[in-house]
Amino acid sequence: MLSHLIKLMWNKRRANGLIFLEIILAFIVLFGVYAFAFYNYDRYSSPLGFSYENSIGLRLDIDDDMDSLAVLGLQERIVREVRTVPGVEAVSFLGPVNPFGGNNWGTGNDDNGFQLFTRMLFADEHFAETMELKFREGRWFEKRDDNAKYPPIVVNGKFMDEYYPNAETLLDSIIILSGDRQVIGVVEDFKYASNFAENEPLTFYPQSGFYSGDRPPFEQMIIRTAPGQTAAVEEPIYNLVTALTKNTDVVIWNMAEDRIKANRPVVIPLVILLIISTFLLINIALGLFGVLFTQINRRRAEIGLRKAMGATPGEVTAQFVGEILIITVAGLLLGTFFAVQVPLLELLPIPPKFFYFGIVAAIATILLIVTVCALLPSRQAARLHPALVLHEE
Amino acid sequence: MIELNNISKSYRTDTIETLALQHMNLSVPAGEFLSIMGPSGCGKSTLLNIMGLIDEPSEGTVVLAGREVTDYNGSKVARFRNEQLGFIFQSFHLINDLSVVDNVELPLLYRKLGGKERRRLALEALARVGLSNRATHFPNQLSGGQKQRVAIARAIVGKPNIILADEPTGNLDSHMGGEIMDILTRLNKDLGTTIVMVTHDERMAKRTHRLVRLSDGERVS
Repeated sequence: MLSHLIKLMWNKRRANGLIFLEIILAFIVLFGVYAFAFYNYDRYSSPLGFSYENSIGLRLDIDDDMDSLAVLGLQERIVREVRTVPGVEAVSFLGPVNPFGGNNWGTGNDDNGFQLFTRMLFADEHFAETMELKFREGRWFEKRDDNAKYPPIVVNGKFMDEYYPNAETLLDSIIILSGDRQVIGVVEDFKYASNFAENEPLTFYPQSGFYSGDRPPFEQMIIRTAPGQTAAVEEPIYNLVTALTKNTDVVIWNMAEDRIKANRPVVIPLVILLIISTFLLINIALGLFGVLFTQINRRRAEIGLRKAMGATPGEVTAQFVGEILIITVAGLLLGTFFAVQVPLLELLPIPPKFFYFGIVAAIATILLIVTVCALLPSRQAARLHPALVLHEE
Repeated sequence: MIELNNISKSYRTDTIETLALQHMNLSVPAGEFLSIMGPSGCGKSTLLNIMGLIDEPSEGTVVLAGREVTDYNGSKVARFRNEQLGFIFQSFHLINDLSVVDNVELPLLYRKLGGKERRRLALEALARVGLSNRATHFPNQLSGGQKQRVAIARAIVGKPNIILADEPTGNLDSHMGGEIMDILTRLNKDLGTTIVMVTHDERMAKRTHRLVRLSDGERVS
C-alpha cells in the first residue's frame, strides 16, 4: 500500500506542489524558532547564582573632592546605617557593573599560557552575603585581604570549568590578570546580565583593586531586604543616603523589575516569533483542511470505487492520511537537508545540539498537525456511501 | 450463488419517499450470465448495488455464496466484496493518476499480497483482456473500449466468483461493445464466473443466458 501511495503522490506531484512547498517553509520557520527557543531556554535554565527577588539597587553620588579615606569612611557609615533600617537584611557597595544593569567590563590576555577572557565585577566585602552567593570553594573578600601579598580575586564556576577543567582546586592559584592575582574563592554560578545571558567566565575584584586616582569610588549599592519589604524601605533609605551624602542625586530601582527589563531583548522577539509561528501553523492547518476537503470532493468517485473494491473505512482513512503524510515527509526531508547545513557549516554561533533539537521538534510538530488535520476530512471520506458517489459520476 | 428475497429499497427525503425496488425476488445460480433490462429509473442499478453489497435494502434479505448478509458497512463485508465480487461500471471509474497496470492492481491492494505477486496477477488480467501492451499507459491515453477492458481486468484480477457490470457497453459504440461482450462471455465460459449485467441494449442482453426485465422497481419477467 505504501508503494501505491508513493506512486500516486508522485503522479500527482504537480497538484501537490504547493502543499509540499508550504511544508518546507513551515518547517524552516519552525526549525529556526525552536532552535532559538531551545537555545534561550537552556540559557534561562542555567542559574543566575545570586538572589535578586527582595533586593533593590541604589546609585548615589559621592563628592569628587573627598579623599579616599573619607570616601571609604563614608561608605562604611552608609552601610552601617542602612542596615539599621527596618526590613533591611544586607547592604553592599559595588563598582560600575551591576546585575541586570546592561553594562559589562571584561579583560583578557594570554599571559597564563592560554587565551583567557573574563568578565569583571567589582564589589566590597559584603557583596557575597548581600547576593547570597554559594561557594564551590574558598571565601569572599575580607578586610585582611587589603594587605595580602597578591591582590585577591574570586572567580565563578564557569571560569574554573572553562580554563582549569582538570584542576581539583583553584584556591591560592596565582593568575595573571593585569598583574598577579591570587584566587581566594570560587562561587558556584554568577551570570549577571540577564537570565538569557551566556554563562561566561567572571572574576570579582575588591574595591582595593579598582579604586585609584583615575577611577571613581564605588557609587552603586545593592540592598537586600526581608521578603516583601523592598517598597517599604525605599523612602527611609533614600532619606538616609541623601542626608549622609548631602546630595539628592540618588536613584533607587527594584532588581526584580530590572531583571524583567534585562530579559526583554530576548523575550520580546521570542514571543513575536512564537506568535508568528502559531499563526503559521494555524494557516497550514486551515490550508490542509481546505486542500483535503477539496481533494476528497474531487475524488468522491475514486473513494466509492475503492470501497466497492473492498477498502474498509479504516483503509480509506489511512489512505488519505497516508497521502498527506507522504507529501509531508518528502517536504520535511528536503527541509531537514537545508536545516542541517546550519550546524554543519557553523553558520550561527549557537551550539549544534540546539539546531538538532529544533529539527526534531519541528518535524514532530508538523507531523502532528498534519495528521490531526488530515484525520477529519479522511474520516469524512471513509463515511462516503459508495453507491451514492459512484452513481453521481 | 445470489439470492434476493423480497427486496425493497426506498429513498427518503424530507417530503418524498421514492420506491426504487419493490418486493424483488431473484435467484442467480453459480455460472449464470444474467442480464437485467428496463427503462431508466426502474431500479436496475439499485438492484445491482444491492447484489454488490454497496447499498443496503430497506427490506428483505440478500444471500450471497450461501451466507445471508446482515452488515453492509463493516470490514467483513468489505473483505467479502474484495474477494467475491468484481465491478464494472458504465463510466469505467479508472484513476487517471495511475497507470493501467496500477489501476488493475487496485483490488489486490486490500489483500495481503506482495508487490511482485500483485504485478504478476495484474499483468495476467491485462493479458486476458488483450491489453498487455498498454500496461504502462495512463487512462487518458486509451480509447473508451480500452478503458472498459482495463476496468474488466480490474474486476477479474482478484478472481472473484461474481462480476456485476452496470451498463458496461453503454458508453461504447456497437463494435467496441461487441468486443466487451466477447470478453465477458469468455470469462463466463472459461472461468465459470457468474455475471450479472445491467444493459439497455437488447442485442447484448440476447447474448446472455437469461434476461430479467424491471419496470417501476418491480420485476416484470
